[in-house]
Amino acid sequence: MAETQTVRCTINGIPVEVPTGTRIIEAAELVGLGIAHYCYHPALSAPAMCRMCLVQVEGAPKLVPACVTPVAEGQVILTESEPAQEARQGNLEFYLQNHPLDCPVCDKSGECKLQDYTHAEGRRRGRSAEPKRVLGQDDFGGDILYDGDRCIMCTRCVRFMREISQSERLGVVQRGSRSIIDTFFDFGVEGDPFAGNIVDICPVGALLSKDFLHKARVWDLDGAPSVCPGCSQGCNIRIDTRDNLVMRLRPRLNPDVNSYWMCDYGRLGYEWMNAEGRVTRPLLRETNGEVSAQAWQPAMVALVDALKRAVAASAPVLLIGSPMLSNEDNGLLLRLARALGPCDAIFRSSRAASEITLPGFPMLARRRDLAGNVRGLETLGFRRVGNDAGQGGLPDAADRIVIALGDALADAPPGYAGEARLFAALAHAASPAVAAARFVLPVTTCVEAEGTFVNFEGRVQRFWPALNSPGHARPAWQVAGVLLAGMEAGRAPADAARAFLSLADVCEAFAGLSYETLGTRGARLRESAMLEAAGSP
Amino acid sequence: MAYPYRHDKETRILTAHFGEPDARTLEGWKRRGGYDALRKALGMGPEKVVDEVKNSGLRGRGGAGFPTGLKWTFMPKDDRRQPHYLLINADESEPGAFKDRELCRWTPHQLIEGALIGAFAIRAKHVYIYVRGEFFEPAQIVARAIEEAYAAGYAGADVMGSGVGIDVTLHLGAGAYICGEETGLMNSLEGRRGQPRIKPPFPAAVGAFGQPSTINNVETLCAVPHIITRGAQWYRSMGTEKSPGTKMFNMSGHLVRRGNYEFPLGFNLKELIYDVCGGIRDGRSLKAVIPGGSSVPILSAAEIDIALDYESVARAGSMLGTASVIVMDDRTSIVKQVRRIVEFYAHESCGQCTPCREGTTWMGKILRRIEAGDSTEADIETLTELCRNMTGTTICVLSDSAAAPVLSSLRKFRGEYDALLRRDEPALASV
Amino acid sequence: MAEAKTKLGANPGFAGETGEFAHLTESDVRGTAYVGTRPLDGGHPGASASYPYQLADKQPDARLFEGPYAERLEKIRSRYPDSRGALLPVLNLAQEIRGHLTAESMASVAKALDLAPAYVRGVATFYTMYNTRPVGRYLIQVCTNVACNLCDADDVVAAFLERAGTEQGETSADGLFTVIEAECLGACGFPAAVQINERYFENVTPDDVPAILERLRAESAGGGHR
Repeated sequence: MAETQTVRCTINGIPVEVPTGTRIIEAAELVGLGIAHYCYHPALSAPAMCRMCLVQVEGAPKLVPACVTPVAEGQVILTESEPAQEARQGNLEFYLQNHPLDCPVCDKSGECKLQDYTHAEGRRRGRSAEPKRVLGQDDFGGDILYDGDRCIMCTRCVRFMREISQSERLGVVQRGSRSIIDTFFDFGVEGDPFAGNIVDICPVGALLSKDFLHKARVWDLDGAPSVCPGCSQGCNIRIDTRDNLVMRLRPRLNPDVNSYWMCDYGRLGYEWMNAEGRVTRPLLRETNGEVSAQAWQPAMVALVDALKRAVAASAPVLLIGSPMLSNEDNGLLLRLARALGPCDAIFRSSRAASEITLPGFPMLARRRDLAGNVRGLETLGFRRVGNDAGQGGLPDAADRIVIALGDALADAPPGYAGEARLFAALAHAASPAVAAARFVLPVTTCVEAEGTFVNFEGRVQRFWPALNSPGHARPAWQVAGVLLAGMEAGRAPADAARAFLSLADVCEAFAGLSYETLGTRGARLRESAMLEAAGSP
Repeated sequence: MAYPYRHDKETRILTAHFGEPDARTLEGWKRRGGYDALRKALGMGPEKVVDEVKNSGLRGRGGAGFPTGLKWTFMPKDDRRQPHYLLINADESEPGAFKDRELCRWTPHQLIEGALIGAFAIRAKHVYIYVRGEFFEPAQIVARAIEEAYAAGYAGADVMGSGVGIDVTLHLGAGAYICGEETGLMNSLEGRRGQPRIKPPFPAAVGAFGQPSTINNVETLCAVPHIITRGAQWYRSMGTEKSPGTKMFNMSGHLVRRGNYEFPLGFNLKELIYDVCGGIRDGRSLKAVIPGGSSVPILSAAEIDIALDYESVARAGSMLGTASVIVMDDRTSIVKQVRRIVEFYAHESCGQCTPCREGTTWMGKILRRIEAGDSTEADIETLTELCRNMTGTTICVLSDSAAAPVLSSLRKFRGEYDALLRRDEPALASV
Repeated sequence: MAEAKTKLGANPGFAGETGEFAHLTESDVRGTAYVGTRPLDGGHPGASASYPYQLADKQPDARLFEGPYAERLEKIRSRYPDSRGALLPVLNLAQEIRGHLTAESMASVAKALDLAPAYVRGVATFYTMYNTRPVGRYLIQVCTNVACNLCDADDVVAAFLERAGTEQGETSADGLFTVIEAECLGACGFPAAVQINERYFENVTPDDVPAILERLRAESAGGGHR
């Protein structure tokens, strides 16, 4: 194996040793020094045109752009010297000369790089007496709006479309101070499945999401890191919320899964997270058909009692899992189901006709499986049934203990619940089939609880709760744990971390992993165990 | 003959046959000694040709004055792994320069012969002549000459039976001054927006189409056949030690006689203006001179007693550049001309770099206000600081070129600016 | 008589003035005899990209790249290592045929060279000489940059605007003339320099403007000049 040569330099007096070829901006990042930049992006080409990253190198006649200049042996690099600061301040002044004072009405306010740098280092007062040039706004199609007046011409969007999504829909039109970004006339960015990423990478409010337009101020946003449940790719995301409603999804960097990106299908498919009409309390259906809302304790006592009687009658078990819910939820229920008797564990999931790969980062694709945890369920031992619409394949419920998690059972025949010996549904909304269950228990969605998904390639990734659960809803793993304890078949885990550890008892593939080892970037399941458990690739 | 006037003191090497329509044709050019140099060069071999041009001290005539022979040595010695390209910069757009157009329209074969010799020297199998789009007429003349060269076997698969193949392609631009910048030219040739590239990498390593390339100006290559025929020492016998040879001086502005005049480098500017060009027209007096095209600092009338070579003009605080001498008489409004020059740069800025994209238009707006009498001292201060922020901070030097005339005019003609300033309270600066 | 012809600073090209080179005709200076009539199919491939693309005769509805133009396109393409290199010459050709570049022209060029249309638009709009709107039969571009500015170029522009009866950047009512200011045309020794379609008219003063326009009108009526 070839040795990597290293180069030593100092940045602001801090000694740095990096592999040959490392650029100054990357080296600075390694020692925690951020260098201001617009056009540079680690995943895109670097045109060195914004001139924000100019730094001083002792002995060099001019300031050099840190984004393209490789570190040289013995270089003394100064990012905070007077020439460097003056260059940045002067450059910011050039931007502000024509940039409209839109902060009060601009969505990007609060997460805007022009605001941030100007606040840090810009001139305190403007001195331009000239009218600002007006270039106008444009609808780029799809979810994207463009404000030419705000645009700082960094061309990140153009380069993203050329290099990463490789559907070159944008270009720089005209030249000089009349330059503007534009599409090919009416042929916009709609139809590019990854167009939404250009809103993320735009440093200012020139590219906006119509979906997010004027919806919330970013400093009002709360939220949590999560994993996109839209398909089995498992893009790392951040869920941004306000007043306990999801406002938007944004990708989170994971070099091994999705880089800086996510697809529009996942990005814009969050409305269901805010859906109303949730079951908020445990519901018990009496034999006379009356439904009463219960507190958890009496509901659990009643359910344990009913399970014991069903077990005594040697009823087989049908467990219907949900690929939209975590390994902890599905896994603990599987453990419970197996403890109750011979168990058939199934799940259904939608599947698209084809994958949509991101050409410039082919590890990322909108996968065919349109749920976040299909692979997790397969690994745990669930059997997939049904068609590509996520329907069909429901086994006969007659005389069985049926436990349904999350599945709305929309295609269940009428009276399906009634045929079962015992039907308990852990549900979000009370669809007709679910409402007919004897026990309807409110559980959290993957947005409202901590948990893990396994993505298409066997990577286990953690997510955190972004919303408060409605009413009395609990995580399904917690419900399963209480039932296990009540059946004297196991202990109820005290928290999600312990619930995850207990998955090793259900499925060997999960052995050796913990929330600590998973961190924020995830880890692969043991290859061999995963293959065995899944049966076939 | 020089064109459109000739002066007895001229040393007419490149311009000897201007005004002779017959000199355009291949046969006419051969009768005047053309293509002997190419034959000789083919016999010398690439290394000796490079040495000869290096020894001659020929410096690039496109404005930078970089030694041509030295530039040729930057090319790889072996062209088997990567094709080499010779690019000819006929994108003459510098305000004040009009020499390359004359060379193209009067002596196209002089250019083609120089190009073929240059290509041979750097082992390039393909020459692209990038002609600015406005030069339709000269381009067609050069195109016709290319066809003649191919027909005669001087260009093509087997140049003069030497076994060396050199193709020549004429490429017409579409109107962008910035395509005269060497990397902007390469991008334009490649079918891209003509925006300059960051250097490194340099053209000799990564040039046109990603391959090693050399760019030479038209006037530079036109000198090459003469150097080959008459030798490096002959070339050095003219001009100065550091700036040998002859130069076409582009004389424009308020002169009695404008036009191209070819003199050895080092010729005196004052003599050029008053003797060769007949002095200032209409009996006026001289106010200012731009010695090297609009990108260089302006000289006042008191500063013109200098030799026109690269070193001397630099010592005088300006640059020789393309030797495009723009002469302004005492009726000239310096502010107006500087404003026009800055607006030119604003119009031609490619727009990549923020200081240039924003700074050129901003300066133009301030200068317009100054010219209209609607400005204050604060605007002069702003102007000066903008110039500072536009110098040395961009990918190419268009930004610096826009700042140079502003700074030099502020230094030397401050009175003209002051006379236009408002005397009342300055308006509150807008944010 | 030599006296009448030694108008200092004059240069043939528009009104027959000859200055010091009295024996030279307009054709001598322009080299029209040498150039001859260039074949529409491009002639030698090395010269196939040299054609003027601002002509008086325009065919806005012509189909692009057919017949001899198709041959020329292939010759052009053969001179570059990849099809992108042929972009400017092919855009030139499209404008040569139609007179200006429409969205449809750009899309056709993009298709012919297997480039993204948005990319082609970005390149086409970078360059000043591509007309993105129709222009008059004669596009009159007057240089007002410094060397010509010193020699009354602003007055020449005003004269053209007045005599042609149009506004800056607009086309005259008779469809003949579009007048615009231009940057340095590279003819600084012969101010004011004016480019009219593919020809340069040099040493133009405001007094010369009526004669120039008359000549253009005559050429237009007689169909003498393309």
